[in-house]
Amino acid sequence: MTPDLAREILDLTAEHLVLVGVAMAIAVAVAIPAGILLTRRAPLQRWVIGFANVMQTVPSLALFGFLIPLPFIGGIGKHTAIVALVLYALLPVLRNTLTGILGVDPAVRESAVAMGMTGRQLLFEVELPLAARTILAGVRVATVTTIGTATIAAAIGGGGLGVFIFRGLASVDSTLILAGALPAALIALAADGGLGWVEKKFSPA
Amino acid sequence: MTPPVSFRNVSYRVGGKDILRDFSLDVAAGETIVLLGRSGSGKTTALKMVNALLRPSAGEVMVDGRPTTSWDPIRLRRRIGYVIQEAGLFPHVTVEGNVGLVPRLEGTPAAAIRTRVHALLDQVGLPPAQFAARYPRELSGGQRQRVGVARALAADPPLLLFDEPFGALDPVTRVELQRQFLELRRRLGKTAIFVTHDVREALLVATRIALLHEGRLAVLAAPADFLRARGEEARAFLACLDPQAAPP
Repeated sequence: MTPDLAREILDLTAEHLVLVGVAMAIAVAVAIPAGILLTRRAPLQRWVIGFANVMQTVPSLALFGFLIPLPFIGGIGKHTAIVALVLYALLPVLRNTLTGILGVDPAVRESAVAMGMTGRQLLFEVELPLAARTILAGVRVATVTTIGTATIAAAIGGGGLGVFIFRGLASVDSTLILAGALPAALIALAADGGLGWVEKKFSPA
Repeated sequence: MTPPVSFRNVSYRVGGKDILRDFSLDVAAGETIVLLGRSGSGKTTALKMVNALLRPSAGEVMVDGRPTTSWDPIRLRRRIGYVIQEAGLFPHVTVEGNVGLVPRLEGTPAAAIRTRVHALLDQVGLPPAQFAARYPRELSGGQRQRVGVARALAADPPLLLFDEPFGALDPVTRVELQRQFLELRRRLGKTAIFVTHDVREALLVATRIALLHEGRLAVLAAPADFLRARGEEARAFLACLDPQAAPP
C-alpha cells in the first residue's frame, strides 16, 4: 500500500464517519421525540410508520437520485447524502421507540399514574428507562445500516469510503474496491459491538 | 363529618355498555369497605374513580367533600395509596426506590425518605438490610406485594385503595398477607377501599361489604349481616364458602 493510498483511506474514513455521525444524530433527534409523540397519538401511528416504511423500500441509489433535483435539501454533495441517510435511519429508531414505550407493562404505567406522577415524570422516570434497551437496539440497527448505505453517497458527490468503491468499479480495480469496503465493514462491526455493549448496560424491560 | 369518600349516583358507560349504574355509597373514616363482585361487576371501575384514573359518566365521586373532577389529579393521587395485583412495581428501580417514590415526588429530603422507607419495610416484614437494595425481579410474589403495600403507605396517605392485591398469590402467602393487612389496619387506622372477588377475603378484611352485581349495588352489609343476606347474588357468593352445601 502506497503512503498516498493509506492517507486517502484515512481521509475518506473520516469523511464517512462524519456522514454517518451527522445523519444518525439528526435521525435520533427526530425519530425518538417523534416516536414518543406517536405513543400519545395512536391514530397517527399507522401513517407515520407507513411513511417511514415506504422510505426504507426505496432503493438507496434511487433515493439519492430523487433528492438531487429538490430545492434546499437536494443538489449534489454532502447535505443531500445526509438527508437520504436520515430518511433511511428514521424507521428503525422510530419503530423501536414506539415498540419500547408501548411495551411497558400496563400495570407499571397505571401504578405510576396512580401514585401521582405527572406526564413528564412518567415519561422520563418510567417509560424511557424501561424502553431504553429497545430504543438503543433500533439506533444500533440504524447505525450499522447507515454505515453501509453511506458508501452510496459517493454517487452524488457526498464523499466517504464509497469514493474508492465507485472508482474501483469504474477502473475494474478490486484493490480500490476493497480499500473502500474493508474500512466500512470494520466501522460497522465496531459500531455494532460498541452500541451492543451500551445496550447491555440497560436493564431489560 | 364529611365522609372521606362518597359515591353519589355514579354511572360509568363505555362503548354503549353500562359498567356502573347509579352507584351510591358513603365510606366512613377508618373503615375498610370491600367492593365484592364477579369479574365485570364494576368494582374495579368504582375504585379507579376514587383516584381519578376514570371519570364518572354521570354522578360524582367526592373525596373529602370535593368531587374528584375538581381536584388536581396529581394532588389527589399523591394522598391516596394504591395497591394493585402483581404490585405494579417499577422493574428498573430497587425496593428502596420503589417504596420511596411518592415522598421523592413530593420533594421530601433524601435522609428522611430513607428512614421512612426502612421503617416501612420493617413493618411489612422485609428487613431493609436484606431487601432495600434488591430489584423487584429478585423477589417472590408475596414479597413484591409487601413492597407494594409499603409503597402505598410511604407518603402516609389517609386513604388506601386495594385492587385485588392478593389475587395472584398462592393460598398460604395470601393468608399471611391478609393477616398483615389486618395488623396494619389495627395499627394505622386508615380508611381503605378493597376490591376482591373472594368472599372469604371480603369477610375477613371488611368492616362493611358492598356487593356489586352488573354495575349495581346489590347488598351493603357488615360481614356478620352479609352471611345472612337474602339476595340471589349474595347467596351465590356465600355458596362459595361451602360448595358442598350449595342450595338446590
